[in-house]
Amino acid sequence: MISTATPTKPKQKKAIEMRICEGKKSMFQVFVLPIPKFAIILCLTLIFPPPAASLKSAVNVWPKPRLVSWPRPLAKFLSANFTIDSSYHQHLTPAINRYLGLVRTEHYHPLITPFVIVSASAPPLQTLSINVIDLAVPLQHVANETYSLSISEAGETAYLTAETAWGAMRGLETFSQLVWGNPPAVPVGLYIWDAPLFAHRGIMLDTSRNYYRVEDILRTIEAMSANKLNVFHWHITDSHSFPLMVPSEPELAAKGSYGPDMIYSPSDVAKIVQFGMEHGVRVLPEIDSPGHTGSWAEAYPEIVACANMFWLPGSNGADQLAAEPGTGHLNPLNQKTYEVLKNVIRDASNMFTETFYHGGADEIIPGCWKADPTIRSFLSNGGTLSQLLEKFINSTLPYIISLNRTVVYWEDVLLNDVVKVDSSFLPREHTILQTWNNGSNNTKKIVEAGYRTIVSSSEFYYLDCGHRDFLGNDSRYDPQTTGQDSKEGASWCDPFKTWQTIYNYDITFGLSEDEAKLVIGGEVALWSEQADPTVLDGRLWPRTSAMAETLWSGNRNEAGRKRSGEATDRLNEWRYRMVSRGVKAEPIQPLWCIRNPGMCNAVQSF
Amino acid sequence: MVSIVSQFSTTKLKEEMRICLSKFAIIICLTLIFPPPTLSLKSAVNVWPKPRLVSWPKPLARFLSANFTIDSPYHQHLAPAVTRYLALIRTEHYHPLITPSVNVSTSAPPLQTLFINITDLAAPLQHGVNETYSLSISEVGETAYLIAETAWGAMRGLETFSQLVWGDPSAIPVGLYIWDAPLFAHRGIMLDTSRNYYEVEDILRTIEAMSANKVNVFHWHITDSHSFPLMVPSEPELAAKGSYGPDMIYSPSDVAKIVQFGLEHGVRILPEIDSPGHTGSWAEAYPEIVACANMFWLPPGSDWADRLASEPGTGHLNPLNQKTYKVLENVIRDVSNLFPETFYHGGADEIIPGCWKADPTIQSFLSNGGTLGQLLEKFINSTLPYIISLNRTVVYWEDVLLDDVVKVDPSFLPREHTILQTWNNDSNNTKKIVQAGYQTIVSSSEFYYLDCGHGDFLGNDSLYDPQTTGRDPKDGKSWCDPFKAWQTIYNYDITFGLSEDEAKLVLGGEVALWSEQADPTVLDGKLWPRTSAMAETLWSGNRDEGGRKRSAEATDRLNEWRYRMVSRGVKAEPIQPLWCIRNPGMCNASPFS
Repeated sequence: MISTATPTKPKQKKAIEMRICEGKKSMFQVFVLPIPKFAIILCLTLIFPPPAASLKSAVNVWPKPRLVSWPRPLAKFLSANFTIDSSYHQHLTPAINRYLGLVRTEHYHPLITPFVIVSASAPPLQTLSINVIDLAVPLQHVANETYSLSISEAGETAYLTAETAWGAMRGLETFSQLVWGNPPAVPVGLYIWDAPLFAHRGIMLDTSRNYYRVEDILRTIEAMSANKLNVFHWHITDSHSFPLMVPSEPELAAKGSYGPDMIYSPSDVAKIVQFGMEHGVRVLPEIDSPGHTGSWAEAYPEIVACANMFWLPGSNGADQLAAEPGTGHLNPLNQKTYEVLKNVIRDASNMFTETFYHGGADEIIPGCWKADPTIRSFLSNGGTLSQLLEKFINSTLPYIISLNRTVVYWEDVLLNDVVKVDSSFLPREHTILQTWNNGSNNTKKIVEAGYRTIVSSSEFYYLDCGHRDFLGNDSRYDPQTTGQDSKEGASWCDPFKTWQTIYNYDITFGLSEDEAKLVIGGEVALWSEQADPTVLDGRLWPRTSAMAETLWSGNRNEAGRKRSGEATDRLNEWRYRMVSRGVKAEPIQPLWCIRNPGMCNAVQSF
Repeated sequence: MVSIVSQFSTTKLKEEMRICLSKFAIIICLTLIFPPPTLSLKSAVNVWPKPRLVSWPKPLARFLSANFTIDSPYHQHLAPAVTRYLALIRTEHYHPLITPSVNVSTSAPPLQTLFINITDLAAPLQHGVNETYSLSISEVGETAYLIAETAWGAMRGLETFSQLVWGDPSAIPVGLYIWDAPLFAHRGIMLDTSRNYYEVEDILRTIEAMSANKVNVFHWHITDSHSFPLMVPSEPELAAKGSYGPDMIYSPSDVAKIVQFGLEHGVRILPEIDSPGHTGSWAEAYPEIVACANMFWLPPGSDWADRLASEPGTGHLNPLNQKTYKVLENVIRDVSNLFPETFYHGGADEIIPGCWKADPTIQSFLSNGGTLGQLLEKFINSTLPYIISLNRTVVYWEDVLLDDVVKVDPSFLPREHTILQTWNNDSNNTKKIVQAGYQTIVSSSEFYYLDCGHGDFLGNDSLYDPQTTGRDPKDGKSWCDPFKAWQTIYNYDITFGLSEDEAKLVLGGEVALWSEQADPTVLDGKLWPRTSAMAETLWSGNRDEGGRKRSAEATDRLNEWRYRMVSRGVKAEPIQPLWCIRNPGMCNASPFS
């Protein structure tokens, strides 16, 4: 029996299988066949369309691997002295120790007992032997994450082969999810080949509107690694607080944070970056500017326009000073702005090894800049708001590039209706635009303009939505008969994004094959107006797992049909396993549904 | 400075007058003449739910003695509460997010004692028990006084006292007088423990948080079609076979622990054994008494009208089988032994015609001219008198009277023994129920359902396939979308549209957490602080002394209270950025409140 998880388009899938069988280059990764004889059997068996792996299978890895061969439902026990063999690598070695501890002690009991024969006579598995082809590859965008895992029926050693240490971490996670029960058992006669469809798979977390402790961030990174996500996009600062201690500009956090116990020190950052390395998760910092900078005014009021003003002074939206409470934009006309900002950028690039730097540049609100006298005089002399933004970009982007960073901006910098820059200010080789508005339409606009993009569609990937707005003194809530009218007090990005909404979104929808190549991946986003550590896990998980599978191995089965029906049962199982590992992921169904597969479907499917 | 909530009924005014005659209250009654400014968040008096009457003319406070004690007459349930509050007051050291602008006197003697006086120590914890209390803390005396009609009112006053204390060393406002009593007697949470299981500790934590919010009824929707987690001594097979597993059963000693914990927190534990619908799990032990059990909920190709259940998980007790009543009476008797609460919730919601019609004996009954309404009448008539005979008042969901298709004639539901809980069609159904002469508990799904807005939970749902409609709420939405924000809950008046006489039949309200998409991992965040919003509405109302909605001012206070709940171990969700709390008014929708 072979189960293949497939990429988004059946046409591509066939191509990939051909490449696997030829042992040549796959779509994104160089694929090196570690054990050719396995592959030959695979290529033969690919002829017969396989049944989908059921939940009763002992092979229940999330995200589903791209290719699983497990002809017979056999398993065997792990030796009490089970070990993992590998060359030393400063980040992989701690990961191995962690996984060894997990594999030995987790003893996870699946909700549905696997239908499998655990051989008591076969010798127990003694060793997982890891072979990494290039130990020197750093953790960065498009680092090769391909791995293969083979566990024979009879041998005492299983083999994990990966191009890089980071791919080995992915394989270790897969191995750990294959192990279950007490004593621990693992499926045998198994071969897995796996690699991501998209190189960039992330979570964006906003730590400005509400603060998260370092331990919350570490727990999130660990859960990301378990879901084979590889980018923690850290929206560190915003108008509400500035929680990052920047050594050259210590006043920003001293005055702009929520308090001395709510600041990330350089050693906190180092700890998070290190933890990310040991989990194969890049930590991508965002210092949002020139908008979303009200908190900077606590230390430097002179560089921030419209700070500390009521956000909506008039009766209509045209006068608004910010998209939400918390006003303030850096003033592009003040040289001090760049002095402070370059100190921040330089320190951030020293603290974060990541080669992407996120500059923000979203939601420039005309009313804010217009509230500043120097800007008003610039405008009345014929200047435009877009020229202001161009001046800002031109005064910062070259500096960021000079630090060997690729700059990520939110799409607004190019696509905003009113305040945007000419694309000549945004060199395509150094700039990535992250889309969040207008679903697949803006994705298309960005790639048509020749830019790489990261998809964070607010219609599909915003995890905070659907909780209504957070404003106080809101008379829209007064009517007694409209609790069900979604227009009253709705959050701008209603409704709640269910795991199915997220799972079914194809981030390259509507793009040509060439355009699709510019989509480097996606990120779910948790903006924290109504979130903080008390609810973090439930907001992120298991909905982020839905994106994780889509971006890793796709959301369609071998016939090209959406596999969300079958994914429901698997995601339920994975959610319970995450909970048992200490992540308070929310339930997606009654336990009854898991115990009665298919019975909770919208339509009877068997 | 005096703050009064304006929703006084005639009887409440009489109570006021009576209190004004006591020596404590003379000063208060004098100050009532002067209209007070609203208490701001900078006040050290920030009690949730807001008391009905607070007099605190000068912003003064003083410290609690290191040997502070609480002096109370002995009462078996109050005594543990006193011990608990004493420890909380001594050790909490809560630091408000906004430092109170108040002078803490270092010269005044510290407060040594809270003296509790209770008029009627024998009053049991039951519906309508008097929860009135008054609290006075003088500027100089070493003793503060808490006076209550009953032990349960004293618990409310202890909670208020604990919320007045802040800082390290502990300080408390002085020159303070509070008079307080609830507007509605029934203030509850309904929790469904059948669709997903909750540990006993989750239930206890919830009851403790309820008590801190002066919410007094834990409506425990114990069983449903998905699991039967209650060990019923006379019918042990129901849980043995119908629960999710041996580690997911509430034993009689678990129940006793929960009931006892409720008593020590002034929270009644009201059990619901939903029937005759929502009983699929009973079929594991007794397949012969359950119609349509274990079938796919929506037969392929059928209309919604032909569904077997409103959601996956089919099964209705069969009213034509005598065995049904044998089992059910055993359950009812045991439950009334396990739960001292004098209300018993019988469910009776969502009878789905297709389910009963799927049963051959019922088919033959119907083809002989019987009706579904008659079936339900037979069921009610075979169980309700038995429940009443056990000295219980029966609560049913409104469906039993108001369902379009399957309902009973009101003659089957004696008004003196029956309460109907409304959940559909907001104030319209409330009005229908009270116009029919029944008492009601309001759980409007449009306002009080805490699980809504999370999308539906069905699998294999092609509604999610379109790539351009993530924002169209019609696709895969839950039936009771949208999410009920705390403001939605806070602003709902449960007697909206009723005459004064009709309003008297509204006992109170309950928020409800159905657990298709909830379990212990997310319990606290789903319940809190949104339940606090209802708690204040039902305790002291949602309007200021000018009769205007006070939700703007409530935002800041609820923020503060939410943080205090978190510090007490309840993972209540945040309602705003911390920035909003630090910058009062700046996160409002419009600038002036």
